[in-house]
Amino acid sequence: MKGFTHFISGIAVATFFQQAIHMASQESSFILCLGGLFGILPDTLDFKLAKYFYKSDVEIKPDPNKLDAREIANGIAQAVNKAIETGKGSVQLHTMQLASNRWRSYQLRFDTKTSEICVDIGPEVDTGQIPFDGTELTDPEKAHARVKVNCEFYQQFDKVSNIAIMTGPCFEFEKRADGKMEIVFLPWHRQWSHSFTLGMLIAFIVGLISYFCVPEGPNPELYTLPRWTLYPLIILFGSMVHIIEDSTGFMGNNLFYPFTKKRTNGLGFMSASEGIPNFFFVWTATILILFNLDRFRWAPEITPPGITSQFSFWFWFYVVPVAIMLYFFLKGKKEKELKAKEEGRENKTVDFDGPQAVESETDASII
Amino acid sequence: MDQLLDILLHPEYLNLFYFCIIGILASAIISFLPALHIYNVIGIFMLFVLKFEATMAPMELIALSIGMIVGYSILNTVPATYFGPGDESMSYYVLPSADWVNKGRGYEGVILTGIGALTGIIVLAICAPLFIYFLPGLKAITAPHMFWIIGAVIVYSIMSEWPKGLSQSPDCWTNFKEGWYYLGIGFLLFLASGLLGFIVMSKTLVPVQFAFQSITPVFVGLFAMPWLITNVINIGKVPHQHEAESVEMDWNLVVRGTFGGFLGGFFAAFVPIVTAGVGGLMAGHATAQRDGRLFVMSYGTCKTIYYVGSFLLFFIPGLSLTRGGLACIINPVVSVLTIKEYFVFIGLMLFAAGISFLLLMPFTKLCIRIVETIPFQWVSIVAMIIVIPAVYACTGWGGMFIMAVATGLGLIPVLFQARRMNLMGVLLLPVCLNMAGYGNVILKFLGLL
Repeated sequence: MKGFTHFISGIAVATFFQQAIHMASQESSFILCLGGLFGILPDTLDFKLAKYFYKSDVEIKPDPNKLDAREIANGIAQAVNKAIETGKGSVQLHTMQLASNRWRSYQLRFDTKTSEICVDIGPEVDTGQIPFDGTELTDPEKAHARVKVNCEFYQQFDKVSNIAIMTGPCFEFEKRADGKMEIVFLPWHRQWSHSFTLGMLIAFIVGLISYFCVPEGPNPELYTLPRWTLYPLIILFGSMVHIIEDSTGFMGNNLFYPFTKKRTNGLGFMSASEGIPNFFFVWTATILILFNLDRFRWAPEITPPGITSQFSFWFWFYVVPVAIMLYFFLKGKKEKELKAKEEGRENKTVDFDGPQAVESETDASII
Repeated sequence: MDQLLDILLHPEYLNLFYFCIIGILASAIISFLPALHIYNVIGIFMLFVLKFEATMAPMELIALSIGMIVGYSILNTVPATYFGPGDESMSYYVLPSADWVNKGRGYEGVILTGIGALTGIIVLAICAPLFIYFLPGLKAITAPHMFWIIGAVIVYSIMSEWPKGLSQSPDCWTNFKEGWYYLGIGFLLFLASGLLGFIVMSKTLVPVQFAFQSITPVFVGLFAMPWLITNVINIGKVPHQHEAESVEMDWNLVVRGTFGGFLGGFFAAFVPIVTAGVGGLMAGHATAQRDGRLFVMSYGTCKTIYYVGSFLLFFIPGLSLTRGGLACIINPVVSVLTIKEYFVFIGLMLFAAGISFLLLMPFTKLCIRIVETIPFQWVSIVAMIIVIPAVYACTGWGGMFIMAVATGLGLIPVLFQARRMNLMGVLLLPVCLNMAGYGNVILKFLGLL
C-alpha cells in the first residue's frame, strides 16, 4: 500500500483512544500524529535503512560504454547458479546514469516456461522515464540476450523489471522444497520491519519510558486506561495496521521475525499499487477519524455534535462511496481478465510495492 | 429551480457579469506579471479597486473578485509553465510541465490542465449545495484539531521523501550516507524555512505600512527567484512548441484526474496554510496516481479548487470560514451573506470558468510566440527586472533583505535535489505551532520575544 494509506490508517487507529482525542483538543497534544508516524514507519525502515545494509552475492554494474545484454544476463545466472549449489543467491542490479537527467534503461524478465533469464537493453530515458528517440542499440546481439539456467523458476509476480532510474532492484533466489527456484523480489523489504514483534518491542520500550515519565492527566476518572499506556498502544496498533493492510496485497510480511524466517505471501485481495484499494483504506480511515473525533469530542453535553445523524453519515459518506468503489474495482478486474484472455496470457496481478513505484513519487522536484 | 434561474437571469445581476469579465481580463494581465504570488498581486490590485468602494456595490466587488480568482487559477498556468511559478502550489506543477515544454508539448499540457480546472469547477458547482449541509458539521468536528492536522501534514511531507542517490558503492555506509545526505538536506531546509517563517511573522523587516505584503518577499525569494535564476543560467533553449489540435484523453483520465485533484484541492482549501502543492501530493498518494497525463490534469483541478474553493468557503451561509488571501481581503467589505449570494457566486464562478477556458488557448499561443521569438534567458531577465523593483516598491529594503535570504533557501532544492515542498516549512511550521499555542515558547527560545 502507499505510504499515505498507512499514515492515515495509523492516525485513524489513534483516534479510537478517547483520552488521546481529549489530549489533542484540550492540551494541544500531537499524540494522534504518533499513530501516523508509526503507521508509515515500517516502510521508512525498509527504504531508508534496511535496503542499504543488505549485501547481495552478485552486483551488476553495466558499463554504459560497453553495453552487452548477455553480460548482464550471465551475471544474474551466476547468482541463480549459486542458489542451485547453496540454496540461496542474490543479485543487485544497478542503474546506468549518463547525465543529470539521462539514463540508459534495460529490462529483465524471468521466463518460467523456458527457464531463461531475458535481458533487453532499452533506450536512453530521462528521469521521468521518457525515452529519447534513436537511442536504442542497433546491434541485436548486444541488445537482447536469453541465458538458460538449470532450474525451474517459481515467481509470484510475473513482471518485467525496468531498470532505469535511481537505484536498481534486488532479487534473491531461493531453492524450494519442490526443487523450483523461487524469485524473491526485494528480499530486504517487508522482513523484520514488517513484523508484529518489532511493533511489540518498540511499544514495550516506549511503554517503559512513558510509565516513568508520563504523569496522569486531568480528569483520570473519565478514562479506563492510564495516560502512560496511550503511547505504547498507539505505536503498537499504528504499526500493526500497516502490516495488516500490507497483508491484503500479494506480497506479505514476515509476521513474527525472528521466530519466522520467511516473508509470507499476502492474501492477494488487491495490488498494493492500485488506486481503488488504496483509496478504500484512505477513505475508511478518514471516515473513522471524523466519526471518532466527533463522538469523543470534549464536553459532549454542551458541544453540539458535528454528525447529527449517524445513519445519514454512515450511509452517504461510507456505504455509498464504498459501493461505488467496489463497482469500479470489480469492473476493472473483469476488464483486465478479459484483456488477458484476449491476449492469451495469464492474468497475474503485479504487486508494485517496490522501489520503482515507491520512489517514483509524484513529487516533481526529483525530476 | 425557477427561483434560482430568476436570480441568476434577473437583469439586476447582469452588471455582475460585466464586473466578472473585468476581473477575468484583469487576471489575464496579472497572470503575465511573472513569478508573483496571486494574493499579493490581487492585494495590490484590490487596494486600487477599493478606492471605488463607495461607487461599487459589495456584490459587484465580489463578482470582480470571482472573475479574478477563477481567471487567475486557470490562466496562471500559462505564464507559470513558460516563465516560472509564483508560489509553491505552482512550482509543484511547473516541474513536470517543464518536462512537457522540453518535449514541445507545453501547449498540450496547459490545455490538459485547463480541462482539469474546468471539470473541477463543474464538480465544485455540483457539490456547492451539499456543502451547505455537511461543511458546518465538518468544521465543528475539525476546528479544535486543526493544529495537529497541520502537524500530520508536516510529518507526512517529511517522512514521504525518499532517499535519492544511486547506492552503487560496495560499502553499505557510503550508500547510506549518500541516501541520507539528500534526506538530511530536505529536513534541514524545512527547519530553516520554518525559522525564517517565525522571524518574518514575529519581527519582520518590512515597514509597518507594507505589513499586508510582508509575506511577498518570502514567496518571491523561495519560489520565484530560484526559478528565474535557473532559467537565466540554463544554457538550454525552449524547443518548438507543437500546438496540438486535440488532446489525448479518455473518461477514465477525466474521472480519475478530477477526483484526485478535487480531493487535494478541497483539503488544501479547507485546512489553513496547506497549499495546492501539498494537497495535490497527498491526494496523488491517496489515489495512487502514476500516469503523467493524470498528474497534469489532476493538478489543474487541484489548484483551481484550492484557489476558488477557499474563496467559495467564505460564502457558504452560516459557515463563517475565511480561508485564503482573497477572502481575507474581501472580508471587511462584505457584511451579510445569504443563500442568494452563495448561488450567485456559483453562477458567476461557472461563467468565469467558461470564459477563462476560452481565453486559455489564445493566451497560451501568445506566450509561446513570446518564448519562441525572445530568448528564454531574456524573458527571465525581464521577469527579474519586473519582480525585484516590485518587491522593493511593496516592501522596501527590509523586504529586499528577506527576499535575498529566501532566495538563498530557495536555491537549495535546485542545487541539492531536495524537495521544493520543504520550503513550505516557512508557513506550516510557525502556523502549526502557533495554533497549538507553542508559538510564544519558540519565539522566546529564539530570542524574538
